[in-house]
Amino acid sequence: MAGGGQISRGSRPKRGKATRREPKRVGFSLDMTPLVDITFLLLTFFMFTTTMAAPQVLDMTIPPEIDVEVEVRESELLSIFVRDDNKIFWAKGSDDPKPIVLKDIQALSERENLDPAVRNKLIVALKVSKDASYGPIVQILDKLNLAEVKITEEIAKELDENGEPKKRERRFTIAIQTEDEIAKLQEVQ
Amino acid sequence: MAKKVKVKRVGFAIDMTPLVDITFLLLTFFMFTATFKTQAESEQKFVIQRPATSPSDTSKLPDRDLATIKIAIDTATFDTVYYYEVINETDRLTIWQNTQGIEPEMMTKAQLPVTKEMLDELVRNTRLVNSTTLFAIDADKRLRFEYINDAMDILRKNRATVFSYVTDKQQ
Repeated sequence: MAGGGQISRGSRPKRGKATRREPKRVGFSLDMTPLVDITFLLLTFFMFTTTMAAPQVLDMTIPPEIDVEVEVRESELLSIFVRDDNKIFWAKGSDDPKPIVLKDIQALSERENLDPAVRNKLIVALKVSKDASYGPIVQILDKLNLAEVKITEEIAKELDENGEPKKRERRFTIAIQTEDEIAKLQEVQ
Repeated sequence: MAKKVKVKRVGFAIDMTPLVDITFLLLTFFMFTATFKTQAESEQKFVIQRPATSPSDTSKLPDRDLATIKIAIDTATFDTVYYYEVINETDRLTIWQNTQGIEPEMMTKAQLPVTKEMLDELVRNTRLVNSTTLFAIDADKRLRFEYINDAMDILRKNRATVFSYVTDKQQ
């Protein structure tokens, strides 16, 4: 690439002529370096923004058809409810549901999952109303996934019988609310 | 010219070479990075407002061996419509041919509006034709969850228990 910032005096020898003519020119030689700089900046900017526009995915794994009722210990269950007006509640075991905001979900999951009593054994159930909006539910799933990072890190600090760092065993399920749950939630403001 | 007129010119010697260089570079760059709409995207008349998730999750949608269940809100009637899209063209043709309820003029389309029963049959045929097909649910964020739950039930019944939700990066 030719550099554009030369201080030219117009004194290049012309082919076929022995003498060098020195035409008197007012030197307006433009230094193109900043132009090239900005262009590369723009280029890099567009390079980064086009890759970010690609749609992302949130990976999900669901259990196959559940025919058998699974016995769950109250102390090992954390329920997060989403009511039909998109308000979020949570309950430990069979306690009464308490309201919670989206941004506190990550902290809730970390706290409850790392509780020494149920470390790595807690079952998190997301019970959703049929009429709740899909968007907020995905955001809750996202927050729960974010919490997994810290939880896995903390769990890995312990060693199991073989001396290997413990593996995170995540127990999570998403389901539609039962009639009882809907009724119970209507009572909470 | 009989007489050579010497025009007194103020010298504006701008060397255009770098300008042209950069222009060609930009051109080549945009040519290479332009992503073209898939056949399905160019056919579709609806827009799905995807839910937003945090940018830390960096998994991307695969561009082959993918079947997507799209749940969109029709722009005119505000009804909820299910669409089914398969990316691999050869698989798609086989699946479309094996499924009842698809009209002949719809055979060449990449994505079809479907009913729940057709969806069930389509998912089953997809798994039969190519068992490595991944599934994705691409739904509008304003929808009631029961539509997505129905789609998940269909996937569950057909033993496609690992799938993905398509989301947008949160700004």
